[in-house]
Amino acid sequence: MTDQIVNKEAEQEVLAKLDAFAELPDAPPKRKFRLTWIGYVSCAVVAFWLIICVVGPSIAPFHEMDMDGDDSFLPAGPGEYGYFYLGTDYLSRDTLSRVLYGARNTIGISLAATLLAYLMGITLGILAAVKGGWIDMGISRVNDAILALPTIMLGLIVIAALGSSIPILIGTAAVIYATSVFRIARALGQDIMVQDYVEAAATRGEGVWWIIRAEVLPNAAMPLATDFGLRLVFVVLFISSLSFLGLGVQPPAADWGSMVRENLQGLTYGSYAAIWPALAIASFTIAINLIVDDISAKSGGSLAKKMV
Amino acid sequence: MKDDKSKSELNYKDLTQSDKDLVAKLVKGGFSRREVLKLSMVTGVSLVAAEHLLFNGKAAIAATPKKGGSVRMSSNLHGPDDKLDPATFTSTIDYTRGRATYNSLIQHANDLSPQPELAESFEPNGNATEWTFKIRDGVTFHNGGKLTADDVVYTMKRHQGEDSTSVIKSVLASVKEWKKTGPMEVKAILESPNADLPTLLGLFQTKIVKNGTTGYTQKEDGSLEQNGTGPYIMESFQPGVKSVHTRNENYWREGANLDACEITAITDPVARVNALISGDMDMVTQLEPNSFRQVESAKGVTLLSTPAALQMGICCLKNSEPGSSDDFVKGMQYIQDRKRIVKRILKGKGSLGNDTPISPAHGKDWCSELPQREYDPDKAKFHFKKSGYTEAELFVAPVSGGIEDICLTAQANCAKIGFNLKLKKVPTDGYWGAVWMKEPLNVVTWNMRPTANSQLGIQFGPGAAWNDTFWNNARMGELLAQSLAETDPAKRHAMYCEMQTLVHNGSGMVIPAFSNINDGIADNVMGMPTVPLGQLGACEWPEFIWLA
Amino acid sequence: MMTRMVMQRIGIGFATLIVVSIIVFIATSILPGDVAQIVLGQSATPETLAALRAQLGLDQPGYIRYFSWLGNMMTGDLGISKAGGATISSLIGGRFGNTMMMAGFVALISIPISIALGLWAAMHPGTWLDRLVTFGTLSLISVPEFFIATVAVLILAVELHWLPSTAYMTGEETFFELMKALAMPLITLVIVVSAQMIRMTRAGILNVMSSPYIEMAILKGVPRGRIILRHAFFNAIGPIINVIALNLAYLVSGVVIVETIFAYPGLAKLMIDGVQTRDLPLVQACAMIFCGTYVILILIADVGSILSNPRLRNPK
Repeated sequence: MTDQIVNKEAEQEVLAKLDAFAELPDAPPKRKFRLTWIGYVSCAVVAFWLIICVVGPSIAPFHEMDMDGDDSFLPAGPGEYGYFYLGTDYLSRDTLSRVLYGARNTIGISLAATLLAYLMGITLGILAAVKGGWIDMGISRVNDAILALPTIMLGLIVIAALGSSIPILIGTAAVIYATSVFRIARALGQDIMVQDYVEAAATRGEGVWWIIRAEVLPNAAMPLATDFGLRLVFVVLFISSLSFLGLGVQPPAADWGSMVRENLQGLTYGSYAAIWPALAIASFTIAINLIVDDISAKSGGSLAKKMV
Repeated sequence: MKDDKSKSELNYKDLTQSDKDLVAKLVKGGFSRREVLKLSMVTGVSLVAAEHLLFNGKAAIAATPKKGGSVRMSSNLHGPDDKLDPATFTSTIDYTRGRATYNSLIQHANDLSPQPELAESFEPNGNATEWTFKIRDGVTFHNGGKLTADDVVYTMKRHQGEDSTSVIKSVLASVKEWKKTGPMEVKAILESPNADLPTLLGLFQTKIVKNGTTGYTQKEDGSLEQNGTGPYIMESFQPGVKSVHTRNENYWREGANLDACEITAITDPVARVNALISGDMDMVTQLEPNSFRQVESAKGVTLLSTPAALQMGICCLKNSEPGSSDDFVKGMQYIQDRKRIVKRILKGKGSLGNDTPISPAHGKDWCSELPQREYDPDKAKFHFKKSGYTEAELFVAPVSGGIEDICLTAQANCAKIGFNLKLKKVPTDGYWGAVWMKEPLNVVTWNMRPTANSQLGIQFGPGAAWNDTFWNNARMGELLAQSLAETDPAKRHAMYCEMQTLVHNGSGMVIPAFSNINDGIADNVMGMPTVPLGQLGACEWPEFIWLA
Repeated sequence: MMTRMVMQRIGIGFATLIVVSIIVFIATSILPGDVAQIVLGQSATPETLAALRAQLGLDQPGYIRYFSWLGNMMTGDLGISKAGGATISSLIGGRFGNTMMMAGFVALISIPISIALGLWAAMHPGTWLDRLVTFGTLSLISVPEFFIATVAVLILAVELHWLPSTAYMTGEETFFELMKALAMPLITLVIVVSAQMIRMTRAGILNVMSSPYIEMAILKGVPRGRIILRHAFFNAIGPIINVIALNLAYLVSGVVIVETIFAYPGLAKLMIDGVQTRDLPLVQACAMIFCGTYVILILIADVGSILSNPRLRNPK
């Protein structure tokens, strides 16, 4: 599933070409965002998880590494050392505490990786679009090569070679997903560069950096921003697919994807230890995407709508 | 009185079919006291009678091998590196294919005693520096041709020499020369006495191939070298997919009951269990502790748990920090909550480890006199404090089911006494080359070796190639050599006890537990061997099983 | 113009293949341990390692091994698996067929479903039905696929015994038996890729719906269904083809988890096995196939979108 991010970017690449026509400087100013009730609920969910990221460890009844349950896969109920609100996991740890601790890792890593991917992808994409020639050729071929290889294999290689620490996880995911951002940014940049107003600015004698800052970036911002939601989902899934290969976040730290993975067996005993983290992933990522949907539907620009 | 009466009255053949099934299940699973209780409750007979019934049933079931049928067996790992050359076998799926296709000179019985296989007899000279093997007559290879001493000498020489890539080259290094002393007789001339040589010749890699075989790969047209003498002929082989084997109609002894078997692997542990329960597979290896309950409660399948000395070890290298500190090692040993590990992580299918590689499964060589080391956080705290370390980093790879969980338990317990045990999780591929015997703290697993001497020697012999804690003890070396030549059981036991005490107190090895070998089989699979040296009766099943 | 573009793309494709081979070569060289070390595993000793390395030609410097691989590749010789000794072509042969068969069946089922559902949702934007599709697809995208696969196995194979839990093939089954054997991975993959494609189809059509000529048609009073089927769909086809192409590329190279869970012998798992055993020729061969597939599919998608878009077909 993680490979499908590329869909998004290809779609945008083509649509971006169309869009450049709609995004003329004299386009009417965007209306202020007004959310539907779905948008407000989604915002509440995201806000909830962001708060949990900060306070999670302090409100968790147990530490994430404590094995204080009387047995593995216990249903919710009182135990020897406390009350297990969501039962215990396969190592008799408190599922609720691990979900609370895990928020920090899962959301933190995926947000950091997605932001970094955007930073790298946009910088290189616009650089390639503006400079063209051999720089464009070189970056684009390496980018294509990385895109053509399965993401999980790239992750496996980097982590096997460099070890699996949180900075490396973030860096790996960022590089892998920057390739898609690069393609969008480059396509948008190329289209904007041939617009009359950019050519006019160039004739005026403005420098390359002025053009990028004043013309290219503002016009490319919206389509890139609306892609953010799905990219985030793919990073979360990428981290969890690494846990399938036995890599990922270092134990005993909890991350939601690995929690689903390590407790799958519990499903056969009617344990919900794998369901809770799956719900946590789903609630966070769906909420982010619904907000994006809402913004793009309301913001009016056709540009945003296609990014849904 | 009542017991005696029911004992005489109850017979296996008088049972109803459902009770027979229960007996069959218990017999195959290697029954425990609890299961006998279960049988006695179900059938309403007394305990003694139930026990009697079980032995009775064992005999009844064992007496009726049937020909026909086919099975699918799934191992836990396979890939493009699946091998056909016995000398290079490294995984369960290789061993199983090897056992179906080939024979060794010697076979391990359930109690680990060496039994004649292609060697009709094996005799040492007075001081065990020479062994003479009489080769069995009337054995033919799958592609025709009779087994002779030449084939044996050719095979054994493949484990020697500079350019040999045999996995057991160093294990058999004590053999100076393999010599043909007659058309059907071979002599092994040793560097030093070794009373255990026959046992080593039952290892997975010692399968006898036809003289002059050079290629072991599949030929261009897909055909295979038929250079074995085993119970099944390999029909097709797709590395990383499966192999298909059909009965060798000219097999030289009884056995080979199935018409065919297919050998494959499902690498995902959850999927493997599901394949067994849904009936897609008849036998699967390496059940994970998390799935025991699922298998035990499922209909039509049995959890086969064989006590073994599969050690779950943490190596503290004695030649580097922090393992060089005896106090640090002691701390690591006392922080292991062994009872909890066996109960919670291994779900009872294992035994307590006492920081030596020898377990009760080794029989009389196990030192029962050595006091069991218990979980003692206070002592651990004391020793960690004395060592001066407040943190350490342990490299963990999932080399065996449960080892990560053992390390997580140790980490949680260390945190409670203020010691920061950091875990660094690394992938299994590359682990043996890049981490094991290199990083100061790492995890290890060893397949059980057939003798206590080879088990201790391989890991703790001074200067041994795989001395994985770099603990070199001169006394250990003396005892290893002496015990091989010792024939008096009491003296021999005393020597093994001294060795285990040395390892227990001095080495850098932490062995909190031994895992059983846990496999799952369908209820209609009968005659399963229980050799504790590997999965599914040390892969000995192809020759013995039949379908009820 | 079209021919020139295709030729140019093929040239770029070759450049990408070379870059991929270099990346793969460097990546596998930086991994700890070499194939000899991995094959011998725990039982490696310095002597056996040296012997095996010499036997496999690993004692040569890296760049020589790379160029000899490249030379053989040019002549169509894929080489021999370092880890197992089988020829790469024999390892890949059957699996290539399996992978293509699975990708083909999934595409046959999921593409019509996705386009139909996407169209249907786009025809009724903002309704409860549309919201249901949006929410459903988002939920399925955001759950790890091993979770979907395992839940499907537990229900359909372990509990109900309707379907086999693994995609175990004997090679002699009838079409019906084959379908039954492949049912579980097919279901999982159809769910995984359809969710994505439905979302893209809907979004693509809604986007075209806001363009001036459609607005004009709406103002003229043309029925909405007719607008979507006649005008919007045709104009949205470019991005939809792109999405389909990239999903097909994913079905060929990215389905490691599904292949592992259902023990389906395909190429994606083979490549992971190759990486884990440091089997360079095998990894290279898989990488070439994946990259080639990617390049071809993207080329087809680009040609498709150009043909379907008048503005791109006749550039100013």
